[in-house]
Amino acid sequence: MILGIETSCDDTCAAVVTGDGAIRSNVISSQGVHDRYGGVVPEVASRHHLELIDAVVDDALGRADATLDDVDLIAVTQGPGLVGALLVGLSSAKALAAACGLPLAPVDHLQGHVAANFLGPAAFAPPFLCLVASGGHTFLARVTAHEGFEVLGQTLDDAAGEAFDKGARLLGLPFPGGPPLERLARDGDPQAFAFPIAAGVAGLDFSFSGLKTALLYKLREFEPGAAPLADLAAAFQHAIVEAL
Amino acid sequence: MTRLLVIDTATAATVAGVALAGDVIERRHDPAPGQRPGHVSQVLVLVEEALAAAGTELGALERIAVGVGPGSFTGLRIGLATARGLAHATGMTKAGISTNGAQAVAAGDRPVIAVLDARRGEAFVARWEAGREVVPPRAVAPADLAAAAAGATLAVGDGAVRFRAQLEPAGVAVPEDGSALHRVGARGLVRLAAGAPIAARDALVPEYVRAPDARPR
Ligand SMILES: [Zn+2]
Repeated sequence: MILGIETSCDDTCAAVVTGDGAIRSNVISSQGVHDRYGGVVPEVASRHHLELIDAVVDDALGRADATLDDVDLIAVTQGPGLVGALLVGLSSAKALAAACGLPLAPVDHLQGHVAANFLGPAAFAPPFLCLVASGGHTFLARVTAHEGFEVLGQTLDDAAGEAFDKGARLLGLPFPGGPPLERLARDGDPQAFAFPIAAGVAGLDFSFSGLKTALLYKLREFEPGAAPLADLAAAFQHAIVEAL
Repeated sequence: MTRLLVIDTATAATVAGVALAGDVIERRHDPAPGQRPGHVSQVLVLVEEALAAAGTELGALERIAVGVGPGSFTGLRIGLATARGLAHATGMTKAGISTNGAQAVAAGDRPVIAVLDARRGEAFVARWEAGREVVPPRAVAPADLAAAAAGATLAVGDGAVRFRAQLEPAGVAVPEDGSALHRVGARGLVRLAAGAPIAARDALVPEYVRAPDARPR
């Protein structure tokens, strides 16, 4: 069995996976403390990772009905991510591996996103096309083997998730912006405004920063309090999804 | 006496020590001037070297004690996450100990302030006497160091070196720059470790002293 640990941003995560790709447990402790700061604060995230890491690992082992004695390999995200946050998971994983005499596999976070498709009941087998759209990353990859991937296109500026957060902020919505923006958009007309969809971007790359600027300018056309927020949210969301 | 492992990563140094039957084996890494601390790459290497030099292994130890600072936030988290992981895997009890205190007790029983460079022009200062903390650590501006030193006759630590000009006129002795008293050492850590209370699973956290910079919106 493999124990995986991930602390690259603001979620403290551990999972137990078998060698043939069955997910025995998958524990994600969302810190939930960054909302009031309007974004992830690296120092706050790092502090919480340290407080949570042992509990999250214990929980993952417990849900997998396993102990450290059952683990054959420890895997940990080594980057990219917030350096201070990564170091908590990395230090913990290294110590667990050293004390248990287990091999340690440092994992690229992006490879982890791609490799997640190999796990679980609906596992994919290569070749396939993989779109990763998260808070930190947006890229399209050709996956032809279990190891590695070829990036066909990626965002030149903000990630899609970041675009949601920034757009939500402009619309006066709380962080993280995705869920409240989606809720607001339900009552809006996605065709009410035509926001630029990856304007000026060649090939399969993405760009979301112009979209944010377009929303800002559109908002300025209205008197304070008079902007049709639901329509703006719906059109903004539509533009992101269309680009993806 | 308890068979102990101690580590400290609060300062630029990475320190590991093993105490068996009164003997303390220390292995340490002190970065050269201008070099970055080696915490993440060194700490487990030094632990293994100290264990080997002591002729023992992790499974034979009863307790791990780790310096909780104050000091570098990132350094502290590397040390504490490492200590937590080692304890988690072996069942050793774990304890947090004061980095300031380890420096102070290494200087003897007289009234001493341990002064750590806290960056941003400040120092973390704590006062100890006869193995006990008299004033807990706090961040002090250079202009307030003389007042913070009141009652102490000696100042140790990288901050004592840096702020020598503020401390010596206040009647506080500061050992010469290269003195081992300014570095965190395994002996001081071990002296505090044996009597430190056992920390529960999630309770071993740094003594940050400072809050994160971010302000809620
Ligand atoms: Zn990610």
